[in-house]
Amino acid sequence: MDLSVITHLAQSQVTTEIAGEYGRKAGKAIALGIGAGLGTIGPGVGVGYIFGKVIESVTRQPEMRDEITSIQWLGFALTEAIVFYAFIFGLIAFFLG
Amino acid sequence: MIKRLPLLLLPLVALLANPAGALALNINEDYKPQNEFKLDTWIDLPGPFDLNKAVFYVFVATLLTTLAMVLVARRMTQRPNRIQTAVEAAYTLMRDNIAGGNMDRRMAAKWFPFIATLFLFIWFSNMLGYLPLPTNTEHKVDIAGLQIPSLALYAATANLSVPLVLTLVVWFAYHIEGFRAKGVIGFYKGLVPAGVEGPAAGPIFAIELISDFVRVVSLSVRLFANILAGHLLILFMGGGLVVLLNLAVAGSVVLGLVTGTMAVAFFLFEIGLVATLQAFIFSTLTAIYLGGAVADEH
Repeated sequence: MDLSVITHLAQSQVTTEIAGEYGRKAGKAIALGIGAGLGTIGPGVGVGYIFGKVIESVTRQPEMRDEITSIQWLGFALTEAIVFYAFIFGLIAFFLG
Repeated sequence: MIKRLPLLLLPLVALLANPAGALALNINEDYKPQNEFKLDTWIDLPGPFDLNKAVFYVFVATLLTTLAMVLVARRMTQRPNRIQTAVEAAYTLMRDNIAGGNMDRRMAAKWFPFIATLFLFIWFSNMLGYLPLPTNTEHKVDIAGLQIPSLALYAATANLSVPLVLTLVVWFAYHIEGFRAKGVIGFYKGLVPAGVEGPAAGPIFAIELISDFVRVVSLSVRLFANILAGHLLILFMGGGLVVLLNLAVAGSVVLGLVTGTMAVAFFLFEIGLVATLQAFIFSTLTAIYLGGAVADEH
């Protein structure tokens, strides 16, 4: 393939417009995927850490189970929500951008 | 079941035999998943008071919150039936864990009705969101000459406005409580944690002030995003992805079997955990903010 293809593409107005439109769509889709995907890493580690610590604490002090359970769900929900921050802002960029 | 297994596996065999034919990608441009959350005006009223799907859900949740509790309270008996036991358990949870556990005795008694109403309203809105109701006015079904809207899943809390208004009420409530307890200057001084002194206090105060405003965003977006993401997952898994990708028959069947199973799992997860948990979190954080605004040591 020689470089004259690029000049040819640049000269045809219609092709550039279509390519630009598809490029824009593709960019938005890739951005949503990467953004939402990266956003799940941190909270994933966090949720795992919370439940790991809960198991550790309950095995050490089984009599504290009720108290630990209520704090556990608070921590879980606060951490899990961070996934959705990334996801929702990605969606906003995808549909409104 | 064992005999029928080959029949179920037939699409998978077809997919493996001719992957290019089954997987030929032909995105369905006509299907717009975002329209599932579009709010069509039902009754046009002057100003911004139009009736639409979200308003309908807010009204139903409000009615359920008040009527259910009033009815149960009227019919209290010595030997409780199942519903009364459940409501009593919820009442104890709200009074002792959510309100009582995060505020002192006087504040808990004062703010318990508010926090309990928040909890129940959010819980009813969330649970209502997983009940298919005939609210999809975009696609109508013809039943005996009547144009009936098709069934749709929607929740008032999946629209940012509802959680945002609840959050603003909470935000102003705890500021006013704090101002009354400590005065305006005392409240803002109390933002700096005890033990921070000297030049470090300035930056810490700035950070705490920002985090005070960020609470508006985090509290509302947490509820909204959880419910919206749950609804989107159910929408895409329960058929949306199959329609959108528009694969050939074999590919669609395999994809549908996989995503349909996941849709059921997500539905159960949302009903069993997320709906209640988000109502619990919202009211618990409200109690924590209210308690923290009047506490001497921050």
